Amino acid sequence: MSDTINISLKVWRQNQGEEGHFEVYQAKDIDTSASFLEMLDVVNEQLTLNGKEPIAFEDDCREGICGACGVLVNGTTHGSHEKTTLCQLHMRKFKNNEQIVIEPFRAHPFTVIKDLVVDRSGLDAIITEGGYVSVKTGNAPEASTTPIKKELAEAAMDAAECIGCGACVAACPNGSAMLFTAAKVSQYALLPQGHPERKQRVEGMVGKMDELGFGSCSNEYECAVACPKGIDVQNIARLNREFIKASFM
Amino acid sequence: MKKNCALLSSIGQKLLIATSGLVMFILFLIPHMGGNILFLFGPDIFNSYAMHLHQMMPVVIGLRVLMLASITIHMAMTIKMSISNVQARGTRLSQKPSKERSLAARLMPLSGGMIFLFIVKHLLDFTISPPAVQMIEIDGYMAKDVYGMVYTQFQDPVQVIIYLLFMVAVGFHLSHALQSAVQTFGWYVPRKHSKIKLISMWVAIGMASTFAIIPVSALIYFHY
Repeated sequence: MSDTINISLKVWRQNQGEEGHFEVYQAKDIDTSASFLEMLDVVNEQLTLNGKEPIAFEDDCREGICGACGVLVNGTTHGSHEKTTLCQLHMRKFKNNEQIVIEPFRAHPFTVIKDLVVDRSGLDAIITEGGYVSVKTGNAPEASTTPIKKELAEAAMDAAECIGCGACVAACPNGSAMLFTAAKVSQYALLPQGHPERKQRVEGMVGKMDELGFGSCSNEYECAVACPKGIDVQNIARLNREFIKASFM
Repeated sequence: MKKNCALLSSIGQKLLIATSGLVMFILFLIPHMGGNILFLFGPDIFNSYAMHLHQMMPVVIGLRVLMLASITIHMAMTIKMSISNVQARGTRLSQKPSKERSLAARLMPLSGGMIFLFIVKHLLDFTISPPAVQMIEIDGYMAKDVYGMVYTQFQDPVQVIIYLLFMVAVGFHLSHALQSAVQTFGWYVPRKHSKIKLISMWVAIGMASTFAIIPVSALIYFHY
């Protein structure tokens, strides 16, 4: 049987192009088995009933696989450092009468659209520079025609786990998108299908990352700590290798 | 991407910082530490080392030019990168660093700035405007009594404390810098239980402690 808790929310409210500020709301009788997003739904319902504007936040699958949700909860991305997306964070993690501070992901390229919703299209722009493999359309090729070592396939799958939520950028003290870009470059660099375009891919994606104003990596690994999918910094080392090979060899 | 563009990209700048840092570490810091250890063997050996070093002036000047180039690249790139990083970070209000982020990593700009000030002070103390130095005879040559000059400098406890403080900065800087350079060059440095991180830390502690030997030993142990 689940309990209920009362919490106080200190939430960032902002309209695009305007100055933002924190507002405090009381959320009463919140079921501890509710997810964080469900708690926000309850608060929003109350706000709407009171004639106030609901808190804007992004979400989609609510299963931890789409990367749409993500805010700073009590100063940490997704509110946890245990490979958990915000939608998979449950209210049982919080204490009764606790104040929870909720802020949008902060980084210069992530401008606030409204309240907790930020523009993460920069990550998509990086993908368009090479986060794909060009293939001729038609039937899928026979899987066994390209043998791939199990370890490589697993490492590529691990890199491909990245859901592009942007927590790595928000957690990085430099607002760098290196872990994201590294994961996207790695998933193709590890597989033979990605090899024909590996040079253009790494140069294009790193170039776009810099152009959009993401910061540099200072190897402090905050990104990997924050990543809800456990993407490892091994991918950043691989991205550095790919970049060195493509640009200087 | 052209090579010059690649060097000015975020990864390229990091490569320049790492390479210039390693050049200073390998060609300056390690040999300097080796020379400093000779202080413990007394005036004859230390002065003889100083004299032989001065006899190799073309090599010394070559190294000085290389060091000047390295430090210029290292600092220019770091300042450029740090300004971009502060802009990229944006305004952060409630955000907290994780427990994994080391103190050495957080203090890199501070320790780096301290090292620069230290280099300026160190050059003023012993190279640009050294105190009056006695001339002594070594193996038939007239040479400067460098041992005496260093010994006299470190009879002042305030000077010793200042030097030790700077050595702490060198230790902190190196402990993050070495492991960070390895990762930047593309060798994987894991988050946890990393041997490279451990080696980086112990090399930093070892070097900072060895450099601290001269001022401390001059103050408390050796009698000239």
